[in-house]
Amino acid sequence: MTATTAIGAGLNRIEAAAKVTGAARYAGEIPLDGHAYGSVVQSTIARGQVTMIDADAVLARPGVLAVLTHDNAPRLHRADDTDAELLVLQDDRVRYRGQAVALVIAETLEQARAGAELLDVTYQPEDHDVVFAADHPRLYAPEHVNPNYPTDTSVGDVDAALASAAIVVDATYSTPAEHNNPMEPHAAIAQWDGDRLTVYDSNQGATSVRQALTTLFGLADGAVRVLSEHVGGGFGAKGSTRPHAVLAAMGARFTERPIRVTLTRQQMFAMVGYRTPTIQHMRLGADADATLVALEHTAYSQTSQVLEFAEQTALISRLMYAAPNLRTRHRVVALDVPTPRWMRAPGEAPGSFALESAMDELATACGVDPIELRVRNEPSVEPDSGLPFSSRNLIACLHEGAERFGWASRDPRPGVRRDGRWLIGTGVASSTYPARSAPSTAAATALADGSFVVEITASDIGTGARTALTQIAADELRAPTERVEVRIGDSDFGQAMIAGGSMGTASWSWAIAKACRELLHTLHEIGTVPPEGVTAHADTAEDIKAQAQLSRHAFGAQFAEVRVDVDTGEVRVPRLCGVFAAGRIINAKTGRSQLIGGMTMGIGMALLEEGVMDPQFGDYVNHDLASYHVPVNGDVHDIDVSWIDEHDDRLNPVGVKGIGEIGIVGTAAALANAVWHATGHRHRHLPIRPDRVLTSLA
Amino acid sequence: MDFLYARSWDEALAAKAERPDAVPISGGTDLMVDLNFDRRRPDALLDLNGVEEFTRWERVNGHVRIGAAVPFTRIINEIGSLVPGLAIASRTVGSPQIRNRGTLGGNLATASPAGDALPPLMVADATVEVGSVRGERTVPVREFFTGPKRSVLEPDELIRAVLVPVADGPQQFAKVGTRNAMVISVCSFALALHPARRTVAGCIGSAGPTVLPTPDAEQYLEAELADRRLWDSRAELDEAVATRFGELAGAHARPIDDVRGTADYRRHAVAVLARRTLQWTWTEYRRAQR
Ligand SMILES: Cc1cc2nc3c(=O)[nH]c(=O)nc-3n(C[C@H](O)[C@H](O)[C@H](O)COP(=O)(O)OP(=O)(O)OC[C@H]3O[C@@H](n4cnc5c(N)ncnc54)[C@H](O)[C@@H]3O)c2cc1C
Repeated sequence: MTATTAIGAGLNRIEAAAKVTGAARYAGEIPLDGHAYGSVVQSTIARGQVTMIDADAVLARPGVLAVLTHDNAPRLHRADDTDAELLVLQDDRVRYRGQAVALVIAETLEQARAGAELLDVTYQPEDHDVVFAADHPRLYAPEHVNPNYPTDTSVGDVDAALASAAIVVDATYSTPAEHNNPMEPHAAIAQWDGDRLTVYDSNQGATSVRQALTTLFGLADGAVRVLSEHVGGGFGAKGSTRPHAVLAAMGARFTERPIRVTLTRQQMFAMVGYRTPTIQHMRLGADADATLVALEHTAYSQTSQVLEFAEQTALISRLMYAAPNLRTRHRVVALDVPTPRWMRAPGEAPGSFALESAMDELATACGVDPIELRVRNEPSVEPDSGLPFSSRNLIACLHEGAERFGWASRDPRPGVRRDGRWLIGTGVASSTYPARSAPSTAAATALADGSFVVEITASDIGTGARTALTQIAADELRAPTERVEVRIGDSDFGQAMIAGGSMGTASWSWAIAKACRELLHTLHEIGTVPPEGVTAHADTAEDIKAQAQLSRHAFGAQFAEVRVDVDTGEVRVPRLCGVFAAGRIINAKTGRSQLIGGMTMGIGMALLEEGVMDPQFGDYVNHDLASYHVPVNGDVHDIDVSWIDEHDDRLNPVGVKGIGEIGIVGTAAALANAVWHATGHRHRHLPIRPDRVLTSLA
Repeated sequence: MDFLYARSWDEALAAKAERPDAVPISGGTDLMVDLNFDRRRPDALLDLNGVEEFTRWERVNGHVRIGAAVPFTRIINEIGSLVPGLAIASRTVGSPQIRNRGTLGGNLATASPAGDALPPLMVADATVEVGSVRGERTVPVREFFTGPKRSVLEPDELIRAVLVPVADGPQQFAKVGTRNAMVISVCSFALALHPARRTVAGCIGSAGPTVLPTPDAEQYLEAELADRRLWDSRAELDEAVATRFGELAGAHARPIDDVRGTADYRRHAVAVLARRTLQWTWTEYRRAQR
């Protein structure tokens, strides 16, 4: 492992000044000579056919350059792995309300939007089916769940074990649709130069967008360049190519001008993915001494008619606790709804709500402390696969958190602490998230003036990735951070992992470390840097293939205190405490922010966020930030975040596990468990709204 | 779209008379949302930000006369002690940015049942000064609203100021929202005690087509206070009286189910807020004795 000076420090974001002064340009702000604007027209029915689009009136309006529809839009090519959501304007089918059915292109944004609103689209509607239910007749078992995990797993005999278990918890939990909503709406500006395409796009990974566009437009390798220097948040909604980028490229090809397409906040609710609603059936069986004998997790979720996205909701139950009889199952139903996708900790976020709530119920049923229950059921190897863990410090996190939070003095009885109109309670839950790495390439260059440039198609979606990578490169090069420039967000730098799956830093740091080490080696050999500089390239594909088979995960423990208003059912969160074991933390400041951000999003998941499906019209009614509520400053009080000093040298050269997602895993359960402790009522359906609390108290 | 700009009250009235279709814009915190969402597409806007007198407040004959464009932040900072109910409500509006821009005139003209300034103005017996080239008139806030987002304002009229009696007793405002800021009320309640007159006034926000007065609750409470001679004794208020007051207030709510809350929840919450605001104001009244 590298000697560290920069790593671990709370370095400020390198691009902070550029961002706060407006100098940093986002995709929707890049000016290209002579560009025009595309505005998306969305379907107003949930299922059926577009029978006619009368564009004449719109084409006659001032400034309107073109109206792209399935009749005239450029034909796209598809490969086996093509994301069907990207095959926009290729046929007349409407598969969900809010699907793109046309693009109006005009000289100004206002002209384009006005045209889009006026465009006359006639439909042949068909009955739609948008209501998700665990007894839906069309539920089926997908071939695998996201991204490539087995759908069902089974060890031992769960039914037999449950039948003879001393204590059984059998409960159903649900989570609603949730919408990612990064601050920066999706935007792209595309320009063609013959058969070369350049796209400035707001995404979490420029090379994956490059690859998708290359395929869709049938181009040669290297013909597409995607740039995304600054990205204003993603939470998974920008994890792969989204339709706006394809539409911009289509519009640019059609009009032979650069075209910018920016989605509105409201369009984002249908066009860029969201978290599927889930229904989860949990069955836990334990001996009288609170040892788990069986654990079963069955998860239901929805997908669209466009493509299958099967959330890996029950995955978490495959590794958390040592149940000798362990079964997980996933079922999914394709409805006439927008396609759900990744949203911060897909799988683990909703899955942990069910598992960690059920564990709390089991602790109560067994009469043991919830931390003690987890300690007693700590596995020595991954229960489902039998693989050893590269490192697993869940218990250390629970104990450290208990210390910081003051858990020892907790009275386990529910509904007995009252301060005026407030009932007070505390809860705990475990967190986990996979710690994986994916192949990436990087280049490190030494310049004659003693400075260094590192190039990698990483993506900084506001996480501080650019800064963290600079710290890593500086330590590898044994140079101060000021002498190292890390360039990111340009697909011409070569293939690299996206900022997703909490794998960004783990994957990029590997390639950077390798390139830097190679460079130092070369410099050692040649002695002095030649005037033109010297570059070393690295590709980690082989290294990653050669990795030992291990269960690699980050772990954590979350504690929550809630106050529940007995008269109105309002739930307030005076404090949260999270302790994580996530390998090396590269930047103490941005790392802490990631974890605080995840936990804050967990407050939203527990108490506020809920996409409300309108069964009649088939879309999410509260599709704006005035009615889709995320926590604001006033909802967040004390969030205490810390981590355990964890060294795991079986991960990657820098020892990174990734912290983008684990912060939201377990938060909602910790809060729900605290609401139970406060009130004596178990909330199994999120969000824990005032009216639900009040009904339970009545 | 034409953009008209007025530098004085008279200029504003003249412009509005000539172009009754021109939509006034003050802080813009309601109007710009409507324009952005294309709920309204006016042919003309009339910018009132150049009218200096709209941004002034003054004390006149036991009243505070608040210019139509005084923002919430200034109500809180400058006249909070004179109009406490309004100040408490102003503190709950939006975020600092919204409170810096949003105005009393805008809140009144929007006439939303969720307008947080409206219940406290109602219970304080405020009146609205409106005018046009045809002349000026004053309208009690109690008579100002005619329906959801509708008021007595004529097409050529503008709001000039709001006349709020300086508080003659404790006032309170409480609201329930799904989160702690930046939230449209699920429901709200304002209460004012008028010890000199020995009356009380309550008003419900966000649980009906307009803000709603609560006469049954008021009559009940006034009778209880009189029968028990509580105005004079300043004795503790029976819990049962506060509860009954809340129930009667809740019965005046005419709520609907929407994404912010169910009708049942709102009715219940109004009762809770009414009971609580009574307890707070009564405690304050009792303390004021010393
Ligand atoms: C994010 C956000 C949060 C908000 N939170 C709250 C909240 O918590 N509580 C709340 O009550 N409101 C809230 N609002 C709504 C808004 O801020 C208030 O209603 C505010 O009082 C409007 O004042 P304004 O000056 O900005 O009005 P504008 O938007 O300028 O005008 C509103 C309406 O009043 C008319 N108008 C303005 N001045 C006059 C006048 N002098 N004469 C005649 N007509 C006039 C306009 O034509 C328009 O129809 C919020 C708004 C936003 C955007």
